[in-house]
Amino acid sequence: MAGILNRKRQQVLGRITIYLLVLLVLAMVLLPFLWMLSGSLKTTLEIQGADVMDPAKSPRWWPRTFTFENYIEANNTVRILDYFKNSLIISIGTMISGVLLSVMAAYALSRYAFRGRGVYVMSLLMTQMFPGVLFLIPYFVLFVWFKTLTGIPMRDTYWGMILTYTSFALPFSILMLRNYLESIPREIDEQAALDGCTPWGTLFRIILPLSKPGMAAVGIYCFIMAWNEVLFASVLTGQYTKTVSIGLLEYITTQQARWAQMMAACVIVSIPVLILFTIMQKQIVDGLVAGATKG
Amino acid sequence: MNPSGMQRTVVAIKKYARDWRWNRIAYLLILPALIGTAIVHILPMISSILISFRDLDIFSLQQWTKAPFIGLRNFIDGFNPVTTIGQRYWRSVLNVLIYGAVTIPVGYVIGLGVALLLNKKFVGRTLVRGIVLLPYILPDSVTYNVWRFMFQSRIGIVNKTLLALGLIQEPLVWLVGKYSMIAVIVASIWKGWPFGCLLLLAGLQTIPQEVIEAATIDGAGPWQRFRYVIFPYLKPVTKTLLLLNVIWNFNAFNQFFIMLGSDPGIQTDVPSVLIHRETFQNFHFGLGSAMSLILVILMMIVAAVYLRTLRVNKSMEE
Repeated sequence: MAGILNRKRQQVLGRITIYLLVLLVLAMVLLPFLWMLSGSLKTTLEIQGADVMDPAKSPRWWPRTFTFENYIEANNTVRILDYFKNSLIISIGTMISGVLLSVMAAYALSRYAFRGRGVYVMSLLMTQMFPGVLFLIPYFVLFVWFKTLTGIPMRDTYWGMILTYTSFALPFSILMLRNYLESIPREIDEQAALDGCTPWGTLFRIILPLSKPGMAAVGIYCFIMAWNEVLFASVLTGQYTKTVSIGLLEYITTQQARWAQMMAACVIVSIPVLILFTIMQKQIVDGLVAGATKG
Repeated sequence: MNPSGMQRTVVAIKKYARDWRWNRIAYLLILPALIGTAIVHILPMISSILISFRDLDIFSLQQWTKAPFIGLRNFIDGFNPVTTIGQRYWRSVLNVLIYGAVTIPVGYVIGLGVALLLNKKFVGRTLVRGIVLLPYILPDSVTYNVWRFMFQSRIGIVNKTLLALGLIQEPLVWLVGKYSMIAVIVASIWKGWPFGCLLLLAGLQTIPQEVIEAATIDGAGPWQRFRYVIFPYLKPVTKTLLLLNVIWNFNAFNQFFIMLGSDPGIQTDVPSVLIHRETFQNFHFGLGSAMSLILVILMMIVAAVYLRTLRVNKSMEE
């Protein structure tokens, strides 16, 4: 009897420990996020006047006075909405071209045992390894050269950025989508062929509709990748195409630190990725896991 | 050509022709991506090598092919620990190794711990699994700017918390000087562990429940269950994860650039930031290319050593 009670007590203790640990993990994850939210709702005076050594002015989690002004002011000091538009155009462009190219390549890789398939997959994996700066320098030099030779600008243009980001999203997108297509049974292809479908017909009428979730995951991967990119944007974008990632840095200058506005801008910048992720969480997670472990 | 050679050629041509007929569509489908990758990966890589042999600066930039050819000069400068830039380069490599040596294991352990926790049953598990991915999905620029705000000396929450806990007496200056590496490491761990957690959790879910139950019945305690039953299932994921992390950390740029700016001082300079600065602020394109090529070679050595170690371990197990 005592043994059972003991066991029961142990189980309860175990339960409590689990919930405490979960709370701890949640706190670890959410605290910086909440600090961002709280910072975006404070007045500039409160943030700039704060002093950790002075209890009366010590920075607080709960704003002393709430204000939404930062969300409006954020666009007056830095052209963050323009940058937002630029990011949106570049990310959507990357998403469309990335999905188109990777669906074709992935279909070929999953359904045909053609010559050079292994080499191609290997080269896709290799590009994942190289540091971004290795590509950034020749990109910059070649963009400038192209302009000198043809007069067509590449740097600080939407198509230049879309080209750049598509190329970096492609390897992982192809591998991710190939894994997805391989989960679609080949019997379906064969059946379609028996029914008189041409290979192109099979791709467009059978495979593409079936692989919508996979394509959605790849599209969102491309979008988020372009939205978040810093290194290439820091050099290849300029006043016409500057993206949000780089724009955020403009709130802090040597003369002025506009932390409250920057936090408000951070919230705005996070919204598109948060929405996309919430809608497509399962597909993205499955795609990431498959892409990273089976590639 | 002798007859048998001719025959062989004919057979080979026939084989290629058959391959072409069978796989024509495959080639057509892959062509756009192939041309794409050729233009955007292979062409820049080759030009990178060519640029690294030239003294390319802001004046010769318009037409890089006209820049003076200087042989291995850039590599010697970048490699030579005696020159200022060479010294900073090697120090930056050391810095990034230190950074990785802390970030990767700590991030892995947190990810593993949380994955084990999230594999247990509790109310709201699905929601919690979504929330823990928050650091991973927030844009780098957002995450590291928020941490930069938190690490501010006079107005930052980190100093306030540490003072309140009595761990420090004076507010520390986190983002300049000797503590800046710690600040970046903390932020990177926060940002990085959920990805590992995600993969490890997926690995945990492949373990059949019966195996764990059988071990429990045989009297294995929690640690033994983990060590001899659960962990072997996680080994493949762990290997991939660590390799990815080694590569990513070696190339780390965003966290250093956003939190510390483009010239953080020798203690927290990392190769990507150094090359970025040397190329796009000091306009030494050739030197930058040479240094990034050295970086690739270093990374390949690291990856090769890593993969070799894995193979040795594997053959020892068998």
